[in-house]
This record gives sequence, C-alpha cells and structure tokens, in this order.
Amino acid sequence: MSLRRRSLDEEASESINVSPLIDVVFILLIFFIVSATFVTVPGVEVKRPEARTAQSLQKNSVLFAISERDEIFHAGARVSLEEIPRLIETASKNRPKPVVIQVDQWADASLMSKVVAKARRNAPSVSIATRKSR
Amino acid sequence: MIVKRHSPKTEEAEINVSPLIDMVFILLIFFIVATSFVNEIGISPKHKDSTQTISDSPPLSFELPGSGRITRNGSLIQLAEIAPIVRTASSGESQSVLVKVYPGARAGLATQVMDRALLGGAKAVKLTPMAR
Repeated sequence: MSLRRRSLDEEASESINVSPLIDVVFILLIFFIVSATFVTVPGVEVKRPEARTAQSLQKNSVLFAISERDEIFHAGARVSLEEIPRLIETASKNRPKPVVIQVDQWADASLMSKVVAKARRNAPSVSIATRKSR
Repeated sequence: MIVKRHSPKTEEAEINVSPLIDMVFILLIFFIVATSFVNEIGISPKHKDSTQTISDSPPLSFELPGSGRITRNGSLIQLAEIAPIVRTASSGESQSVLVKVYPGARAGLATQVMDRALLGGAKAVKLTPMAR
C-alpha cells in the first residue's frame, strides 16, 4: 500500500509544471501585440542626411523614400509623384497619419520639396528622416 | 478503497493546456515576425498659417541654386552662417524661413539648411521648389 502510494506521488511530481511557461509566453504575447504597429517600409536603403535638431518621430506613420536616383518608393514599389495623395489616403484610412520621408542625401532637393508639398495636403504633418550628426 | 479510486478520476478531469500553449506560441511567433521597430529621427518643418505669415512680412529666404551653393539675396553664404543670420533676423519673435530649391540642389544640403535654420530658432521652415 505504502509502496503504491509513493509511485503515484512520484509520477505526479515528475510532470513539468507548465503554468510559469504559459505566464511568460502570455506576457511576451501581450508585449508584441501592444508594440506591433504594422508599418509598411518603403523597401529601399537610403543614406539619410545629418541634422542636429532631429527629434524622434511618430512611430505609426506613412513612409516614403526618395532614392539616390530620384525615384520615389512606397511599400516596396516605385511610385510617381501624382500617386502620393492617393497612397496617403489609402494608408491612413479614416485616421490621418503623419508622413515621414526618408530621403537620400544625394537625391534632388526640388523633388523632395515637391513630395513634401504633395504630402502636406493630405497629412497632418510631414517630416524628413535624418541621422544623428557626429 | 473506493475513495482511493475516485482520486485518479479527479486528476483526469484537469484541462489539457497543450493546445492552448500551441495556439499562444503561434500567435507569439506571428507577432514577433510582424513587428517592425521603425525608430526614425528627423526634422519636421512645420508651418502654420503660412499664407498669412508670408503676406505679413516677407520671410527670411535662402536659395539653393545647385552645385552645393547656398545664397541669400544673391550673395554666396556658408552653411555655418545660417543659424546666426536667422538668430539676428528673428530678434525676439521667431521668424519663418523659406528655402527656395532649384533643380540640381542636393536633398542633404537642403535638409542641413533647414536644420541650421531651426537651430537658429526659426518658427517654421518652408521648402519651395523653383523652376529654373
């Protein structure tokens, strides 16, 4: 009798207690759900210009990129200047989102200003992405 | 003995959590993959009621005629001079600055000019594309 009871007890204690694991996984899950913003990156690598007055920009924004060859990119595809208001409209749905323009430092400045002017009509704010100057 | 036999039954009635863990793990992996941490820093050349400001007083303007030059009223200036010019011109109330960009000017230079103007205390910076 006593022998049987011991074996039952041991079997019960041998199974791993998964509740702390579930706790940790849930916490991680909640963290990632909260921090998920789902921004669509422009999909082109640019060398940002330096700026001293740079401030951190809003995370949930519509991104555009202007490459070194003066091409405008949005969500991994090349777009034209005329498409910008429509793209902002689609990306922001019912809540207006700010626009961030990642511009290459060797891109044409007049194109950049045209993009800024276009985006300004549909977005609450337009910013230019920069990097910290050393 | 009957009581003894009942106790294993209560153990069997425990909820099986493995499907729950599976599902939670799938969700976790989905969110880890889908999350993209875009941490951009940048400048926001904000301008409020720009039409009014321009009509009231002509704003400070800088021209970028291309090939890396910066001019003000036709005379060549250096990048380092912009912040002091804006600071002197504003004298008390902050001024809005107009950056006129001609085709051929580089975006890096235009951004630096805006940056320096903001450093000098400009209230707003406006980019204007100019036709050659």
